Amino acid sequence: MTKNLLAERPVYVVGIGFHPYRHRSDATYVTLGLTAVRQALDDAAVAWADVEVAYTGTALLGMGASRIMLSRLGSTGIPMTQIENASASGSSAVAQACLDVASGRSDLALALGLDKPRGGLPMGPAEAGMANLEGGTIVPFTHFALLASEYMSAHGVSPEAVAKAAEKNHRNGANNPNAQRQKIRSLAEIMAEPISGSMTRLQCCPVGEGAAAVIVASEEAISRLGLDRSRAVRVLSSATRTERLYGPGEGIDAALTAETAKVAFEQAGIEPTDLDVLEVHDAFSIEELLYTEALGLCQPGEAASLVANGQFDLGGKCAVSPSGGLLAMGHPIGPTGAGQIGEIVRQLRGEAGSRQQPDARTGLAHMVGVGAVCVVHVLQRG
Amino acid sequence: MSQPRPELLGNSSDGTPFLIGQRCRHCSRVAFPPDPYGCEACGALIDQLDCVELRAAGVVQAVATVHRHHREVPPTPFTVAAIVLDDGPLLKAVLTDQSAGAQVGDRVYGIAEPPDSSPPLRFTREHGGPGVDR
Ligand SMILES: [Zn+2]
Repeated sequence: MTKNLLAERPVYVVGIGFHPYRHRSDATYVTLGLTAVRQALDDAAVAWADVEVAYTGTALLGMGASRIMLSRLGSTGIPMTQIENASASGSSAVAQACLDVASGRSDLALALGLDKPRGGLPMGPAEAGMANLEGGTIVPFTHFALLASEYMSAHGVSPEAVAKAAEKNHRNGANNPNAQRQKIRSLAEIMAEPISGSMTRLQCCPVGEGAAAVIVASEEAISRLGLDRSRAVRVLSSATRTERLYGPGEGIDAALTAETAKVAFEQAGIEPTDLDVLEVHDAFSIEELLYTEALGLCQPGEAASLVANGQFDLGGKCAVSPSGGLLAMGHPIGPTGAGQIGEIVRQLRGEAGSRQQPDARTGLAHMVGVGAVCVVHVLQRG
Repeated sequence: MSQPRPELLGNSSDGTPFLIGQRCRHCSRVAFPPDPYGCEACGALIDQLDCVELRAAGVVQAVATVHRHHREVPPTPFTVAAIVLDDGPLLKAVLTDQSAGAQVGDRVYGIAEPPDSSPPLRFTREHGGPGVDR
């Protein structure tokens, strides 16, 4: 029987930091990354010299980006590894940092999500030598427009009902100073500018630049370094899975999400109804409906009505994408999954200010990525 | 030397295009597009995969009209569909402009595009089918 290391040796998030997500600028990736890491070190009240291992989640930076950046905090010689896992790269950096501490190899680990898109996303599957009849037409927004078509048809849901998830997330993002989009939008604005199927520009995430850092620690590190226990948030579980073969009508992303979440819930020992806050891969509005259902928050076809009656709002039963999600906070690729952990930690600490979910105790972060891959983390305050 | 990609299409003696799929001798999985490496279900080697003719006909499972595209071809707007083939596999393909109004549940069939077109085959609504003239 395999071990659940996170149950045997508890791991806590003790520091979070961001460089705001925004349109590509002249700033180097080093500036973006160092901004987030310094903020996370300050937040945790630890020194760089205390960090024993670093993982950089990035899909686009290229070879060898980590040391020349992180050595500007001091050349301590610690192990550094870059993690590429498509849109879930930052999530996987967090997963590796947690595993590193849970295994007992280290007591204090950094996970940094970082990217600076340069126009065009290099995609491995395009190099796999597979032919198809798509002729390059099925880009991500159309992949999800097709899932929206299938969902709306199967459940009798209107395009406006799907768009309401985006309306909520734009509203949440308006209260997040790290968000790329910080503007409340009317449903009419969101329904304008069609891109593909029912997906409009404001129902598609912006891809810019940014960074998000997460510092995780063992009990020993918290004691030894005298860290603030009341602000430490435990990582109950970390699950990663990849796509299997599913039948027609079983959406890949939702089926994969359900399988990955099942592992994460079992290892965490919680139920979907225990969740107070949730950050999902809402790169396109339809995804919030697909994933909240796949995660077991409601039955298939019900999510649109839960969005409509405010159950996923701040103050609702479970706040979904309180950060603004990928739709409003943005999706700079590498940072996104690490940034989700940062938002969940902020919420569970009760430090989210004007976008605080009241009495948030348990949260979940979910990313999918091209491949397809899925990474889920469950976090809980003490 | 570049690795050749598997052929996707063939033509019946009456000129009707068909799709070239694969059936695994080991697990019976029918796949489209054909795979150059092996069976995605059971891992059987490529020599265990037999070419099979699949009818270029099926039912629209999902449909989307695309308004923004990063290439000049096909020109926008164009309509794509997820289609469950009568012979099993699910594929995504571009619809003909005449069938841009296709809806979920419509029957569609493939018609060959002129040589060197991308994509080489589009799907169109079946004559007399439930979706025509909607
Ligand atoms: Zn097989």
